Amino acid sequence: MVGRKNKRMIVLFLIPAMFIYVMVFIYPVLRTFVMSFFAVEAIETPIAAWTFAGLNNYIGLFRIDLFNRSVTNYLTLWFVGGIAVLFLAMVYAVILTSGVRLKKFWRAVIYLPNIISAIALGTMWINYAFRDNDGLFDRIVEAVGGQTPVMWTGPYMGLWSLLIAYCFGMVGYIMLTFISGIEKIGDEYYECASIEGANIFHKFFFITLPLIRGVVRSNIVIWTVSLGTGVFAWSFMFSPTNLTLPYTMPPNYMREIIFGGRGSAVVQRDSGAAASVGILIALLVVVISVVSSLITRKDDVEM
Amino acid sequence: MTRNKTIREPVKLKKELKLTPGYLLCAIWAIFTFLLIGWTLAASLVTPREIFGGDVIGTFFERLLRFDLVFNNYRLAWGAQNLSRFFLNSVIYVTISLPLIIIISAPAAYALSRFRFRFNALVQGLTSISMGIPAVMIIMPIFSLATALRMTGTRTTLVFLYIGMSIPFTIFYLLPFFKNLPSGLEEAAAVDGCSPVRTFWRIMFPLAQPGIITVTIFNFITLWNEFFISMIFANDAQIRPIAVGLFNMVQGMRYAGHWGAMFASTVIVFAPTFVLFIVLSNKILTSVTGGAIKG
Repeated sequence: MVGRKNKRMIVLFLIPAMFIYVMVFIYPVLRTFVMSFFAVEAIETPIAAWTFAGLNNYIGLFRIDLFNRSVTNYLTLWFVGGIAVLFLAMVYAVILTSGVRLKKFWRAVIYLPNIISAIALGTMWINYAFRDNDGLFDRIVEAVGGQTPVMWTGPYMGLWSLLIAYCFGMVGYIMLTFISGIEKIGDEYYECASIEGANIFHKFFFITLPLIRGVVRSNIVIWTVSLGTGVFAWSFMFSPTNLTLPYTMPPNYMREIIFGGRGSAVVQRDSGAAASVGILIALLVVVISVVSSLITRKDDVEM
Repeated sequence: MTRNKTIREPVKLKKELKLTPGYLLCAIWAIFTFLLIGWTLAASLVTPREIFGGDVIGTFFERLLRFDLVFNNYRLAWGAQNLSRFFLNSVIYVTISLPLIIIISAPAAYALSRFRFRFNALVQGLTSISMGIPAVMIIMPIFSLATALRMTGTRTTLVFLYIGMSIPFTIFYLLPFFKNLPSGLEEAAAVDGCSPVRTFWRIMFPLAQPGIITVTIFNFITLWNEFFISMIFANDAQIRPIAVGLFNMVQGMRYAGHWGAMFASTVIVFAPTFVLFIVLSNKILTSVTGGAIKG
């Protein structure tokens, strides 16, 4: 067991990490939570000058069109993008575990966007793939006889273009966790099913999917957590000079009301409300984690 | 267990035929990715006028055959537009952060994975929860704290945050590496009169090296690409890391019409993580889910 010397060592080894946890996570989270219930104009305002406002920050936020739009955008991206990413990741995971040649190469290519800076990737998407007339997507539309320019980065398609570009970078990571889940399933299940005459779809729905339910759950949580920070850069790329309706996302709105920022008089500085935005983003993560664990906990399979 | 076959199979036509839709989908993804990156590379080596001319990749090959690629784009991006400064900033931040992250995380992961004590479960729980906390929840209090300490817009604050953000994942990732080391190593060292702290640095730390190297690669990629925290805490052009620098440059160059230089800067920014990935892709890909996620 733990001797006295060991005890000293444990304390010594944990102190720096605990200091970071308190400074970077525990204290900020608590303070942001409290702040969301107070009227605070500037971020530098000391606690003594905060005035209690109850739920006013939250109520006030939902009276602002720009914020409401950012919530709708965010939830659309979360839901539609989430389904698309999980679906594509699952399809590619099944393909790569079905015995294709060059598996390592395909896996690397699909993961590749994940390691490229969002700003670099966004520059390529906006200035090449989505460019009007001679961009890749317009060329494809033109080739199949569609009307160009589609205006991929215009007000109508904007959110969907952002969604496509953001999801492109996320599929690889989610796919890898699916692959590791699928590879834990024993070969004998599939061999047995093959002998019984099952095709690839039977195998997927009756063997793979039930056995990787836990991975699906953790991928939903991963998707939700990463969206909160990940979408910030993309919203910025699509709308660099000020907040615009099709691309506004809650973290970007939050930055705007903390720092004022990009020369817009539309938004008033309000740090209390900014804290509420932070809480709402975190709330989605908490709700999704709890709900998905409640739904799938009972029938999880031990492997 | 895994379906990796080291012996090359003979081509069975029937089997390959069945897999055709799979190959097709993989090929679509690969072609698109190569076009996206290849076009950007090509565009970074031709003139802005040619970028609007349409066939960028064709022009690129023409120029390549004539040994006439427009390297001036890179010169402009690197020198006149100050990308070199942002690049250097990021190199500095990463060089300082990466070792410090390990020096703080490895001992903590070791203590948590090999000793039973009262708050062990609590600290491990905190580690998992911290990984799920969105950055939007932590920036405001830290910003006001930095203001109170007159440390906003300093490199120290930025590096401190980079380190802080990376620690939960690093501890979490290293836990199984220490846990799976043979038991009894500590006792043997103690018998030889080695103190617990020395035992860790001399024996356990080197043995966990595979995990430490892998997690450092991940941390490098994360920090090199980090945008949110940097955007909030590095407003001053002097201390901007590369992602924020690129963002500002791209906006400026679009207005100025420096299209070639814009793509050149994009290439310079993604080159380090890209090359690292090409060289180490197998190691990276098998470790993403290795210690971290249990299926």
